[in-house]
Amino acid sequence: MGHALPTDTADLRATEVVGAGLRLVGRFIRGAPVPYAVAATGSIAFTAGIVASAAVIGWVTDELIVPVLADGAGIDGRLRVAILLLVGVALWKATGIVIRRSAASWLAFGSQRRLRSRLIRHQLQLSLRWYRTRGIGDLLSVSDVDTRQATFVLHPLPFATGVIALLVGSAVVILITDPLLGLLAMVVLSLAVGIDLRGSWRTFAAMEEAQRRRGHVAEVAHESIDGADTVRALGREDAEVARFTVASRHLRDQLVEVGRVWTGYRAVTEGIPAVGTVLVLVAGTFRVTAGDLTSGELVRVVYLLSLLAVPMRMIGYLMWDLANSVAAWRRVEQVLDADDVVGHGATEARADSPAGVFASGLSFSYGDGAPVLQGLDLSIEPGRTVAIVGPTGAGKSTLALLLARLWDPDEGSVRLDGRDLRELAPGAVASEVAYVSQDTFLFDETVVDNVRMDADITDAEVERALALANASGFVRSLPEGLQTRLGERGVTLSGGQRQRIALARALARSPRLLVLDDATSAVDPSVEAAILRGLRQADVAATVVVVAYRRSSILLADDVVYVEDGRVIAHGSHEQLVADVPGYARLLEAYEDDATRRAAERRRSFEIGRDDGGAPETRS
Amino acid sequence: MSAEQEPTSCSPSLVQAMRAAAAAAPALRRGLVGTIVLAFLGTTGQVVVPIAIQQLVDGQALAGGPADTGGVVAAGGIALAALAMAIVLNRIALRRMVTAAAHGLSELRIAAFRRIHHLSSLQVQAERRGVLVARVTSDVEVITQFLEWGGVGMLVGAAQILMVVMVMAIYDPVLAGLVVVAGTVYGLMLVVFQRILRRGYDRVRVLVGDSLGAMSEAISGLPTIRAYGAEELTAAKVDRALDRQYRAEVRTQSLGAGLFSTAELFAAAVTAGVVAFGVTGPTEITAGQLIAFLFLVTLFIEPVQLLVEVLNEAQTASAGLRRVLEVIESPDELPDAGDAGRDPPAGPLAVTFRDVGFRYPTGADVLTDLTLHLDAGRRYAIVGETGSGKSTIVKLLTRLLDPTRGDILLSGAALRQVPFRTLRRRVGFVPQDGFLWDASLRENVRYGRPEATDDEVDAALGELGLASWIARLPRGIDTAVGERGGRLSAGERQLVALARASLAGPDLLVLDEATSAVDPALEVALRRAIERLTGGRTSVTVAHRLSTAEAADEVLVIDAGRLVQRGPHATLVQTDGVYARLHADWAAGTSR
Repeated sequence: MGHALPTDTADLRATEVVGAGLRLVGRFIRGAPVPYAVAATGSIAFTAGIVASAAVIGWVTDELIVPVLADGAGIDGRLRVAILLLVGVALWKATGIVIRRSAASWLAFGSQRRLRSRLIRHQLQLSLRWYRTRGIGDLLSVSDVDTRQATFVLHPLPFATGVIALLVGSAVVILITDPLLGLLAMVVLSLAVGIDLRGSWRTFAAMEEAQRRRGHVAEVAHESIDGADTVRALGREDAEVARFTVASRHLRDQLVEVGRVWTGYRAVTEGIPAVGTVLVLVAGTFRVTAGDLTSGELVRVVYLLSLLAVPMRMIGYLMWDLANSVAAWRRVEQVLDADDVVGHGATEARADSPAGVFASGLSFSYGDGAPVLQGLDLSIEPGRTVAIVGPTGAGKSTLALLLARLWDPDEGSVRLDGRDLRELAPGAVASEVAYVSQDTFLFDETVVDNVRMDADITDAEVERALALANASGFVRSLPEGLQTRLGERGVTLSGGQRQRIALARALARSPRLLVLDDATSAVDPSVEAAILRGLRQADVAATVVVVAYRRSSILLADDVVYVEDGRVIAHGSHEQLVADVPGYARLLEAYEDDATRRAAERRRSFEIGRDDGGAPETRS
Repeated sequence: MSAEQEPTSCSPSLVQAMRAAAAAAPALRRGLVGTIVLAFLGTTGQVVVPIAIQQLVDGQALAGGPADTGGVVAAGGIALAALAMAIVLNRIALRRMVTAAAHGLSELRIAAFRRIHHLSSLQVQAERRGVLVARVTSDVEVITQFLEWGGVGMLVGAAQILMVVMVMAIYDPVLAGLVVVAGTVYGLMLVVFQRILRRGYDRVRVLVGDSLGAMSEAISGLPTIRAYGAEELTAAKVDRALDRQYRAEVRTQSLGAGLFSTAELFAAAVTAGVVAFGVTGPTEITAGQLIAFLFLVTLFIEPVQLLVEVLNEAQTASAGLRRVLEVIESPDELPDAGDAGRDPPAGPLAVTFRDVGFRYPTGADVLTDLTLHLDAGRRYAIVGETGSGKSTIVKLLTRLLDPTRGDILLSGAALRQVPFRTLRRRVGFVPQDGFLWDASLRENVRYGRPEATDDEVDAALGELGLASWIARLPRGIDTAVGERGGRLSAGERQLVALARASLAGPDLLVLDEATSAVDPALEVALRRAIERLTGGRTSVTVAHRLSTAEAADEVLVIDAGRLVQRGPHATLVQTDGVYARLHADWAAGTSR
């Protein structure tokens, strides 16, 4: 595949992963400080409740369990107090949880939404040249999977914030209870955290590779499903499945590798708190039998340590989520950092008169090396209809794209009435120039919205445009007429119908320059004739540039521009070019010859085969 | 399903979904028993601490007198050894689980993808393509994320519950029984909550699909969006979809949060109950055992809490799983007769339509009462106004669709009975928009017949007179055509599609306006080559230029889904009717 991402996976150290992760988290929090503050408060309240519950259990041990069961004392009112304490702490914790989790989803999903919106808005500003360097499936993967992955860390973040408070609080409580045990506990906790950090570093690089492979799977799927009809018609389903299988297994193998790395660390970091607890228990037992500590105090310390096991896992998850998010964020950032934005000037748009087109010295190549246009000069008077003709690969379609400013030339300029297209204000080119190509893209909207797009166009104008594009008939026969929904969820139109809607879309905004690149290919000859005739009439006051592939289209134009190898060879009337330009004459006359020869052959064979009802003999 | 429709709540249960998933992806189930056993053994590490506490408190701390150093150290040593074993077993179990998940999900992904290519042309258009891509990418990803976190938690949690109950029962069966009963009641409550949550997550999943569709449109449709200055319109549309998704997600998650918090109250109730029962009850429990019980209750509650948490995740994952399964289990709209089928006789194919009708599920009839016969070896052209049903005839002929009424026969053999592997070889199709893969030109042509040699590919191109065109390309026949053939012009893509069909050498060639987008000179040469190519085989061309109709042996005129006229051009043009009208328009268009 030619679209590999230039992500640099330099060997990072754990501190760099954490640093990048924390910076990323900081960026998200700055975008949503309130949700985070609320969630963190809920979380700290919750973890304070954990410490409190350990103290309660310690109290229950010293004041209730040991006296009653070991020393045979009476219960008095202490059971009631114990129950009140336990339930009270639980209510406190429950409230903390609800606040924390609700606010966490507010934070995480809100950040994901904002990030996706920002990403799409940015991509809508980027040049087509930039788009050519990425695969569509890959870009979609960034906007979908990578944004989800990048913000995923925000879900456990508030809990992790509380856990840090918990660890600090626990260390303090244990130190106060017994300095020796406290020291032991802190050593164990530090070891656990340290191993977690190292584990996340090791998983980071593996996760990034997995993400790349996921993007590749998406690309293969996207391309293959787009071509589903062709795949079926050629019976190539098995080949496509085989291709996808390779990509899927490639991803699978990397996921197994990721698992290999992180399970190793996970198992250890889960075992360490328990090991520490046993050591504390052993040391603590000696302290109790020596009388330096009560059973209740030991139970308080050990209970607290045992309660740390699950929250400590959160640190491991957070590290891993951080690594994941950093990996995904890099891919998102690549798109956000792309600065190949289409530039604009401030010149305002004009309206209500056809545009004069002047292109000088246009040179252009798609970046693959071979130049498509080489110093092309072209001048078109306002209101003229011009046909662009030339052999395949001459640069006709590219010229059309430049006239509509979908691409910018490498050298030279395109001017409308003396104004360089690049100097026009945002939206000005779109309001002056309408471009229709052979590949029609319709949106998942109603017919009228597809024709109207963003412009200020009344329903009447929409209907007029549809009539001009010869689309009124079939639109009227749709289930809901103009309000029928199109696109992949709506009604399916044939190729010719789609093209006519696209034409209506172009005509509805009364453009000053209309550029058609084989925009009537799927349309009947009678319809094409009607449309082109309609365009020549005075009330469509536009300059029309038609990239022509049929004789009928050429003959409807005022002038013909003959292009070869990226340059204009001749510009004049059809008759002039036939007379003066051998290449042009060859193109058209060969076509005419063929039609004439066919007509002659038809007449001959008709006379011969008259007896069997006029069906000609099979040609050998 | 549109966002406005509520997803039905009669979706199959999680258990059914998991069973179906295991059927589609056996790797998910492989070695599961072993993994579960290992995970169970690994949870011994969890109960080491309560047991140690019980031993040390009863045996040492409360026994009075100095510590029995040897005993304490021995207890500590045993505990540490048990922990070490648990760590090792845990690691093995986790790794097995992650590996099984990776393998299983790959199988699931491939199964769904395979199914997509067996959906009919109708289903691939009716559903959003982006949505289908999501089935094999993001939906599977969501399941992956679940299995790697929640799935692991579920397994380990269940094992831990079992282990803890065992130890509790050894200390005090009655108290253990109470804890288990309370836990069961709570578990039932969770099931009810799960059902409430599921509906919410199904809706979220639909809205996520909508967001994906809106973003996909913004990315794929950029040239059109740019050309019409509709950037803000599109961005606003994406924002609306994202906003709907966000609201539903937060709403559902908050509901889940309320649910999750009830576990805290449950834990407190059980702990209080254990303490109360322990100190007042008739049981012979010691202080150390009761203290150990408090730890064990925590170890019992943790996995229950985790299971609740995981159930949240499971909702999202199972909603995604159900959608993937929907694809995998979608019915075969175009069944392959396979070995039970019947091949049509060798040689050019004749075509018969008998009372054929076709109607889209959304409503209108496209074709009605179509009865015709096409002789083998002849050139036919189908003409008609756009929307008359021509493209549908093509899809029926190439069996990308099956008729809703009537039969189609190829030289007497029912089309439905012809195995696909034969059909694809003998019926060649050149569609309106030639679809190219991101590969070299040579490979794209070879797609027509993969076992063809380089010489045969060259010959196919030569026969069409394309040798000079190829020579002018940057790298000749090895030129990369780019994604979807983007580096070639529309006309050049058609050439490749034709060469591909030519290489396949079919007995029936179906062309849907194949030569519409090529400039005159090349079009001429191409048509001459097609003449040579269609010699000796049956060809059906959907014509949009009547010059194609003139070149055919016979023309079939379709109007509003019916065959209204038929005959050679010369006859039809002199008869009053649809054809004469179409021809007059064309002739007027080319007059000087």
